[in-house]
Amino acid sequence: MGLKIIDDFPGVAMKVPGGSVMLGVMDAVINWARANSLWPLSFGTSCCAIEMLMATGAPHQDMARFGAEVARPSPRQADLLVVAGTIVKRMAPTLRTLYEQMAEPRYVMATGACAISGGPFIYNNYSVVRGADEIIPVDVYVPGCPPRPEAFFYALLTLQRMIRSGDSLKSRHVHKRPVMSALPAGITVADIQEELRDLLERDSAVDVEKEAAAGPWAGKGYC
Amino acid sequence: MEANELQEVVLAFASGAKVREKTDRPSLTVPAASLPDLLAKLKADERLSFDMLLDHTAVDWLERGVLELFYQLFSTRHGHTLTVSAEVPREEPVAPSVSGVHLIAEWQEREVYDMFGVLYEGHPDLRRLLLDDSWVGHPLRKDYRDDHMIERPK
Repeated sequence: MGLKIIDDFPGVAMKVPGGSVMLGVMDAVINWARANSLWPLSFGTSCCAIEMLMATGAPHQDMARFGAEVARPSPRQADLLVVAGTIVKRMAPTLRTLYEQMAEPRYVMATGACAISGGPFIYNNYSVVRGADEIIPVDVYVPGCPPRPEAFFYALLTLQRMIRSGDSLKSRHVHKRPVMSALPAGITVADIQEELRDLLERDSAVDVEKEAAAGPWAGKGYC
Repeated sequence: MEANELQEVVLAFASGAKVREKTDRPSLTVPAASLPDLLAKLKADERLSFDMLLDHTAVDWLERGVLELFYQLFSTRHGHTLTVSAEVPREEPVAPSVSGVHLIAEWQEREVYDMFGVLYEGHPDLRRLLLDDSWVGHPLRKDYRDDHMIERPK
């Protein structure tokens, strides 16, 4: 390795792409910041856009609770591409261009049956692309036709969990395998709101000590 | 004008027209060759004044081997509507263009050409409207298939 500090502190100190050395505990802080300031790109092509971008952004559902209310019309300023709607063949190159214009780290959420698989247009259709993942890598799938705003929030929390558990410095964009973020059966709106309240209280501040204690370096006396 | 009365007046104009049964608005079937003349007369007449072509589309009747062209007419002066339809053979779908009567038909006929492959005689610029120029075939025909398509399992 050459650098003594990396050999001395396995798991804590690691190389970053620039070649210098960074302490691993910074991951927790950076991930916390990224997870709580997701700016979605308002890419709505059909009916899912009404639920995903209009209803959830409005005051009644209030996406601002998760730091994700700043919907950007420009991919240069967005972190999260919400594919809300059917992707037809003529739209596919535009979607790819938008994805490539986004700055890293970038995350993709495919909401609704059309963006997951082509949905009701899967058979005998000449124009519809069968899922956004034929064009761009997708991190979270949100089933529904269209999904309810609660399902979208559930997916947003899932994505935040993924980001928080990811390696922020070693790999910059897609961290884990994509997940299907389906709401468990029998859950009501009141349950979700209560859970969201708890989550918000818990996540409103990052506990660096606790994050450090949960890492692979725990109990070795480094932190 | 009432629906029955309207049909009577229109039938006087249209030679070889048949009234379609079981429709919720006055509806006629005419020979395709008489379309431009008929639509021009319907537009010019004081009592009818069908001055707006709301929509033009087609239906592919695969078993009968015909494409049925539909023209939805509306009168902005009187507020009544009329549906005119004409059949052309599926193998040789040639119809006269009505873009000389209603200018909007120029784009509507381009769309029907794009989706069904109906060829309009006298159309000033018959190109595809929605799909790529390199597209092969006309996708709204019932027997259209391409490599991308998945057939619905029986």
